[in-house]
Amino acid sequence: MSKRQMVRIGCGSAYDGDRLDWAVDLARSGVVSYLGFDCLAEATMTFAQLRRVLDPAAGYADNLAPVVRDFGGFVADGLKIIGNFGGSNTHAAVDTAVGLFREQGQTGVRVGAVHGDDIRDRAFGLDAELPDLGCRISQVKEPVVSVNVYSGAAEVMDLLDQGADFVIGGRTADPSLFVAPICYELGWDLTDLERVARATTVGHLLECGILVSGGRLANPPRQVLDNYVSIGMPYAEVSDDSVVISKTPGTGGVVDERTVKLQLGYEIQDPANYLTPDVTLDVSQTAVRQVGPDRVEVTGMAGKPRPETLKVLVGLDLGWRVGAELSFGGPGCLERAEFAKELLAARTASLRDGIVDSRADLIGVDSLFGHQVAAGPPAEVRLRFAARCPDEEVAKAWVYEAKTLSFSLAGSTTTVPTLQRFIGVTRAYVPRSAVSLETELITT
Amino acid sequence: MKVYDIAYSRAGDKGDISNVCVFVDNEADWPTLLEKVTADKVRHKFGPLVKGSVTRYVYPNLHGLNFVLEGALEGGCNFGLRLDPYGKSYASLILDIDL
Repeated sequence: MSKRQMVRIGCGSAYDGDRLDWAVDLARSGVVSYLGFDCLAEATMTFAQLRRVLDPAAGYADNLAPVVRDFGGFVADGLKIIGNFGGSNTHAAVDTAVGLFREQGQTGVRVGAVHGDDIRDRAFGLDAELPDLGCRISQVKEPVVSVNVYSGAAEVMDLLDQGADFVIGGRTADPSLFVAPICYELGWDLTDLERVARATTVGHLLECGILVSGGRLANPPRQVLDNYVSIGMPYAEVSDDSVVISKTPGTGGVVDERTVKLQLGYEIQDPANYLTPDVTLDVSQTAVRQVGPDRVEVTGMAGKPRPETLKVLVGLDLGWRVGAELSFGGPGCLERAEFAKELLAARTASLRDGIVDSRADLIGVDSLFGHQVAAGPPAEVRLRFAARCPDEEVAKAWVYEAKTLSFSLAGSTTTVPTLQRFIGVTRAYVPRSAVSLETELITT
Repeated sequence: MKVYDIAYSRAGDKGDISNVCVFVDNEADWPTLLEKVTADKVRHKFGPLVKGSVTRYVYPNLHGLNFVLEGALEGGCNFGLRLDPYGKSYASLILDIDL
């Protein structure tokens, strides 16, 4: 266990499709000694499952290879990186990273991994409840393709203690990617609820990248930003007595009380009880204060004991997702779009038993808010169809009907329908005793 | 006057639950937001978009409110067919509430 007075840790990515050049700027600035890469939104995990279903050697985060390529030199020079790059295939991620470091001539890099988040083999024995589906895992109709448990900071801290430079988590929880290095560097114990709460708040604020440094903030005409073309990635400066959020020096974007408040509240339900694997976080009494240009101090967070259970994401094979879009403009555009809806419904009537969910939206009229916002007649409208079909033949038949629809419609654009595999992810909770995590360390 | 005129917002998702946070620009408007933007008002604004409960939480030191909308994403971002699977645009709908 290390014992430093202060640690600076930055965000490398908010998801595995995030741009890396702004994080390279942060690494190059030399301000931070750690970068945390969050790669796995709930939906990202879906796509990772899908890749693994199609290819057993795939399923790790898309950005793993680019991160090793773009940051390998920084790691060789002492920057430490922690990311949940493993996705649904941590073993393949380790092989890839180790191979790339060696190819790049970066020897002596210690690549650590956390294994054991994949508990599919135990899922039916545990028969966890799926609260969003209202049934247990054994009762679900669709094939279960994956069961991954969110893990915490402990194993990552253990790897750092073993000297790891590049840590590959499986489904390591987003804030834990930051909690581990903060607690490790400052000598904080994971049983110290107040300190772990502070580290978890930092992780929560950083894990979405630029969302705390000016992303999603510009809201013209009401809220106009001056320097928005490129946005600096955020970092935190954490010590025993303070937490300050900032961003790469000399970059665009902004860190102010607004950006920190927005990100503090993001994806939290009850502010007094935010469940993470490391602590039950209470940010209800949090305060923020601008203490310098692009520097905001955060105070007032508290911690309660961590939950007894761990959250799990269960991936289900839902079959196929099909879609098609057509535009209509000018007089009668809405009526023609409504006619197109009726026509496709009639032509796909024989497929009805094979379609478990479907919708048609009028983009420009009702696609986002239904009829909850008053609107006048549009100059043009885009009709969007979407449906889910468990069976591939039904999905293809639907696509055939959608593709040929425009020949029957006055003044509509043509359409190129889409046909995609559909893997759904839903949550469950399992006792900690059902999960055994292991670490691995390989030197390149 | 709308919430849009005094506040800013962001929406997040967990499964089928959307949470929408709204904070005032100026502290002087905090009592107005706190008094006028109730859970009932948000439920009415969202109407059939929200199938479950609407719960309001207060951030007293941040001068903001958090609305938790259950059953707001038609099964969640990974099950539904919504154009906006994560409900990001709900951040704009809450700003359309009349004060």
